[in-house]
Amino acid sequence: MRRPTRKCKANPVYLPPLAVAAIVLVIAAKVQAADAPIPHGTVELIAEDQWITPEHDFSLGLHFQLEQGWHIYWVNPGDSGEPPQAQWSLPPGIITEPLEWPAPQRLGTAPIVDYGYNDSVVLLVPMRASATLASQQTARLGANLRVLVCREVCLPGKARLALTLPVRPQTPAPDTRTKALFAQARRSLPRAAPPSWRFSVTDTKDAFVLTADLGHRVAQATLFPLMESQIDNAAPQKVEATASGFRLTLRKSGQLLKTIERLKGVVVIASDHAYIIDVPVGKAGARRR
Amino acid sequence: MTKRSMHSLMMVAVLLLAAALLALAAKVGEPAPDFTATASNGKTYRLSDYRGKFVVLEWHNNGCPYTRKHYTTDNMQQLQKEWIARGVVWFTIISSSPGKQGYMTASEENDYLAKMHAAPTAALLDPTGAIGHLYDARTTPQMIIIDPQGVVIYDGAIDDRPTADVSDIAGATNYVSAALKQAMEGKPVAIPTTRPYGCSVKYSGVH
Repeated sequence: MRRPTRKCKANPVYLPPLAVAAIVLVIAAKVQAADAPIPHGTVELIAEDQWITPEHDFSLGLHFQLEQGWHIYWVNPGDSGEPPQAQWSLPPGIITEPLEWPAPQRLGTAPIVDYGYNDSVVLLVPMRASATLASQQTARLGANLRVLVCREVCLPGKARLALTLPVRPQTPAPDTRTKALFAQARRSLPRAAPPSWRFSVTDTKDAFVLTADLGHRVAQATLFPLMESQIDNAAPQKVEATASGFRLTLRKSGQLLKTIERLKGVVVIASDHAYIIDVPVGKAGARRR
Repeated sequence: MTKRSMHSLMMVAVLLLAAALLALAAKVGEPAPDFTATASNGKTYRLSDYRGKFVVLEWHNNGCPYTRKHYTTDNMQQLQKEWIARGVVWFTIISSSPGKQGYMTASEENDYLAKMHAAPTAALLDPTGAIGHLYDARTTPQMIIIDPQGVVIYDGAIDDRPTADVSDIAGATNYVSAALKQAMEGKPVAIPTTRPYGCSVKYSGVH
């Protein structure tokens, strides 16, 4: 039997601390990552600008990329599902505003219809940097993300993301690497309706009828409700073109037991432009000017 | 016929059709539609046989992370035990279509119940989705409570933490327990309906 050559052996006393150090480094590396895997996709935290300027607003983005057929959910997920949620760890001097959601798509078919995104989407994260940040040279922005990814089945995912950006007094310069992604995301955000447009909503016991007066005929429109359990998500939305706009009949949700004061949501007109609406609900027969 | 009256007629027709399609779907405050189902234990159960008792319908898919949240923590099993002990009839209902997530044969479901120490009154097998559609069950879990007079008094989520996180059970307000407690005390159910949270029910043709 061959004798094993005696090589240098690590002193066992040092092994545990070394192992701990290695583990800490691995965890630190993971926590520092701006991108992470999620079920059937990836998510990355991206910055619009190259640095953060104190007393300026800026945006980050949560860029989701999903495998074919898999989807995530809108802020109102619809009949099933759950929207992604982020918890932020931010340095003093930075606060975050609510996420900004690109216009969603209808997912699924009756009797279960949801709202969300296939392929890829960037959720915008508006942030504000106050003057107190000026004393820092860098800012580390961290997110603990929870996301549900579904196709025929649903898989919950978690990701820890972090981005460290320089803090500089100069006006922020855009990051050319993320420019296209942010431009696309901003184009997909629902916008405020032009002031000349008029919307009204009538409660007809079984449905809400949304009447839009835009100054031109519109043959196709869809409403994505912001609040859950107001309209029946699976019911077809009957649209009638009128000379100056359209009328959309939205069947009420079977879970709606009382009247609502306002109908809030995103109206997508001709599968192109998306507008935010927030309309008081009137009774049928009441005349509104 | 004028354009206006033609339009009105069309609107009425559309609304009637929509109403007809959903005529049988249960709604809070209305009589619970009757059904008959075969359970995993081989017996047949008819809802109207339980008039005089509170009945809980629990839509179930053991692969759904939201269902697993309540089963891996024993939360659902504890609820079943607690309320059955107080005279409630508890039906777990599986409306998954064959081949889809959550579909179980009778013996598979019996094995699952044994493994999970779950003891509902019965686990009803609804592979055609007929009962699910009758109650417009959209998620797993979705909870429906029927009072002793056969009226739906609660329809919606199991609790107020719509996540798949087991850590969200401890602090959650359980809507089912709250509704049963209030109804048993003769009080109106304070929160009779909520948006149910979970995975979509795996009916045939739907994902």
